[in-house]
Amino acid sequence: MMNRIAPFALLALAVALYFALPYNLAFLTRILIMAVLVLSLDLVLGFAGIATLGQAAFYGAGAYAAGLFAIHAWADPIAGLVVAGVAGAVLAFISGLIVLRAHGLTLIMLTIAVAAICHEIANKARDVTGGADGLRGIRMEPVLGLFEFDFVGQTGFWYALAVLAAVFTFLTLLTRAPFGLSLRGIHESPERMAAIGTSVYWRRVAAYTLGGAIAGVAGALSAQVTQLVSLESFSFTLSAEALIMLILGGTGRLYGAVLGTLVFMFVHHWAAANDPFNWLFVIGALVLAVVFFLPRGLVAVPTALKRLGGQNAGS
Amino acid sequence: MTLFLNILVDGVAYGMILFMISVGLSVTMGLMRVVNLAHGGFALLGGTFAHWFAAELGLPFWPALVLAVALTVALSLPLERVIYRRIYGFTDLQQVLATIGLTFLMIASVNLWQGSSLLPVPLLEGLKASVDLGFRTLPAHRLMVIAAGLAVVLGLWWLLERTRFGIRLRAAVDNRGTASAHGINTDRIFMAAFGLGAGLAALGGVLGAEILPIDAYYPLRYMVLFLIVVAVGGMGSIAGSFLAAIGLGLLETAARYLAPDFATILFFALVMALLALRPNGLIVRAQ
Amino acid sequence: MTRAIRAALVAVTATLLPAASPADTIKVGVVAPFSGPFAIYGKQYQEAVETYVAQHGTTAGEHEIEFIYKDVGGPNPDQSRALAQELLIRDQVDYLAGFTFTPNALAVGPLIEQSQTPTVIFNAATSSINKESEFYLRTSYTLWQVSAPLAEWAYDQGMRTVATTVTDYGPGIDAENAFKAAFEAKGGEVVDAIRMPLATTDFTPFIQRVRDAAPDAVFTFLPGGPPTFTYTKTYNENGLAEAGIKFLGTAETEEVNLQGLGDAAIGLTTAYHYSGAHDSDENRAFQAKLTELFPDAIANWASVGAYDGTHLIYQMVAAAGTDGPAAVEAAKTLEWESPRGPVKMDPETRTLIQNVYIREVARDEATGQLVNRETGVIATVGDLGWDK
Repeated sequence: MMNRIAPFALLALAVALYFALPYNLAFLTRILIMAVLVLSLDLVLGFAGIATLGQAAFYGAGAYAAGLFAIHAWADPIAGLVVAGVAGAVLAFISGLIVLRAHGLTLIMLTIAVAAICHEIANKARDVTGGADGLRGIRMEPVLGLFEFDFVGQTGFWYALAVLAAVFTFLTLLTRAPFGLSLRGIHESPERMAAIGTSVYWRRVAAYTLGGAIAGVAGALSAQVTQLVSLESFSFTLSAEALIMLILGGTGRLYGAVLGTLVFMFVHHWAAANDPFNWLFVIGALVLAVVFFLPRGLVAVPTALKRLGGQNAGS
Repeated sequence: MTLFLNILVDGVAYGMILFMISVGLSVTMGLMRVVNLAHGGFALLGGTFAHWFAAELGLPFWPALVLAVALTVALSLPLERVIYRRIYGFTDLQQVLATIGLTFLMIASVNLWQGSSLLPVPLLEGLKASVDLGFRTLPAHRLMVIAAGLAVVLGLWWLLERTRFGIRLRAAVDNRGTASAHGINTDRIFMAAFGLGAGLAALGGVLGAEILPIDAYYPLRYMVLFLIVVAVGGMGSIAGSFLAAIGLGLLETAARYLAPDFATILFFALVMALLALRPNGLIVRAQ
Repeated sequence: MTRAIRAALVAVTATLLPAASPADTIKVGVVAPFSGPFAIYGKQYQEAVETYVAQHGTTAGEHEIEFIYKDVGGPNPDQSRALAQELLIRDQVDYLAGFTFTPNALAVGPLIEQSQTPTVIFNAATSSINKESEFYLRTSYTLWQVSAPLAEWAYDQGMRTVATTVTDYGPGIDAENAFKAAFEAKGGEVVDAIRMPLATTDFTPFIQRVRDAAPDAVFTFLPGGPPTFTYTKTYNENGLAEAGIKFLGTAETEEVNLQGLGDAAIGLTTAYHYSGAHDSDENRAFQAKLTELFPDAIANWASVGAYDGTHLIYQMVAAAGTDGPAAVEAAKTLEWESPRGPVKMDPETRTLIQNVYIREVARDEATGQLVNRETGVIATVGDLGWDK
């Protein structure tokens, strides 16, 4: 049930937020972009079971690819998304060949190392990327040649929402297709899947590559909307925050990824506006509360409510 | 030749600092198998208490160090009771989330108490001096860290391999049920081991503070560094962590001497190569 | 704001706008980090702004002034731009200020260009930011502005060989280029130019390399916080000062972390535009008010950048109100006596022309605190990096 209703509820919520917060469109757009990144992580981690703390590598690759493409080749937004998706996919495929041979902590460390190397390369290639000052001079053409990026951020909002919806739909279909089901099988029991003749390694590489492409698209959105790309798009903090949002919402459910992003960013926005110095208290308490009381993430809230706050689900 | 000796001396000195700051993690994460991202948080608490005792209350260095470690251990035990005991059975990802949440709370607390500027721990005058090695000098506190690192590695080896506590801990980690059935109080063993990990974290935080200075964001800033040492060393192996720390220290120091421009890329590329070749770390603990 | 944008805004927000603020209140949006590892910058800015307001009241000319603070968290251009948008659209600010990091400042460029909003940079020190829009004004300094005079001074003191050690990122490389160009133009020689990785924790290898090269001095540029702390300690412990290799820096001995460096910092030489120990009535009045309002506050370059930035905003508001282009025009001819010394806005670069002082860290006998003791003015310059 939830699987069918939740996406439409979230879409309705996004439209409602557009009208409720017309002056905060830039903030809402950031949530949408982040949700695309967290969805890519959900595919990689929630479905394929690949624990990574380096998803920012592909986000950053996409952001720089889209930025450079717009500056030097063609400033069409959709073309930029495609280029960024390819950039993210290529990097994910090549690094995945090495990284996915490992498991557990080693795998996590390898993904961190990939992102760190990308960060350093972007920093060193100052002539191309602008280094720590950021890649500037990105001026986008109208979306589909029709909708110009406006000052208030309306175009940016609808554009990001459309991309998010497209990614969400794509992932929904994918996870129900045989490929998605086999990923779930691998996640639950790699040995059994191997026994029935599935190449676990190559399926994981494929999922990782797809995840890289989607993260690249998220990076491109950020580059196009902000008109600037900085080294921070490769940062460990970004990877870690995306992971927190995903686990917060609940892994392995696409709407959980969106919900987690929404809640995390709203709490952050609210806490940082009220008491920035102490906002970490709020976010730390929220994270701990979710682990202990909603171990399956925020998606479990309805179930938990049904049980009328019964036993602590954390033990 | 001088260059080679320089790399050797500085590499070992730096590697020993890496060992000191991450050895606590190889106890909690390596031996006890908790993805303990809050390790840096305990180091931060140790460093903050040492700053408070030494710089604000005016205690000399050694008593401040001992009190800071003791206070961190005293804080870690109730935390183990209330939080960690419940997360031992969680999945890795839930452990990540829980310990990150805890880290945030620790950072926020130190931030509220001491602000976000650096929290230096004043050293003894004797430790500030330079020691002449013949071909160059080395700060005395680096020698002190080298000595402390050797003492810790020997002490841990003795504790884990030669005492009843060590045998019981390994039994409890390998199979908690069986260990309990044999009359081992696993709750108490885990609590003691956790306190040991937190104490070592605090000790490393204070002794390493000359290179990795303490401030509220310490746990996040150096989280990757701690994790690399433990991952390269191999989970559950103190000797592996020791080898990894010295090796990485030498590697990074050599890269900084020989090719400073590419030191970061070189460092991570070599870590990747090492992990790809030995995915379970340098030393794999026999099961 | 341009008429077109105003019209667009009215169209969007006509039905939803909260009760509009009185026309005579002009709002200033301050975008700075108030959380995370860089929270100290936001705190310094806010304290300095409030100090200025306490001294000069809340009115400038005919207008009331109100400051709105937004937390950007760190180097994060996405957030910086989103906050600027929110400030311009929802809060209807007429001035922007703050900006610690270069990418954060650059990210608002397209916005302020469209809305014609004067934007006062309290810190970000990359020269080329101001080229992106006519509406950027800067009350801090640029890396060239302090590094080049330092190089010339070093040569005049008889130093002929220098090794440079800078952190390997944009600002560090700017500082290296500036120092090298000025030093070589005088006839000096840069014997070794080392770029140290951003993630460096142990500086011993670089310091040893400098020691082995035995130049007359070592010039350095480091990001604030832990790297500065470790670098200066390593410099001392490896006996470079005893070996006659002088330390030349810029922001490394800034006041907030100076006490933390301890006695190891004594004797370090830096060239900079502001010292907390600057001997003038303006500086004393500023610091007296600052510590009266915030007993723990320490004045440093971040506070003085924000304090002068606030002064600049007051002058612009008094002269031109909400008219952005006129405000920037008015700002271009301003000169005043700042706590740092006499300053003057350069009409071309829109960065302050100011004194650069040579300072040496010493322990103040009266208070027992470490201070940056000014030993002289070495140059009065504008942004030397503008044409590079």
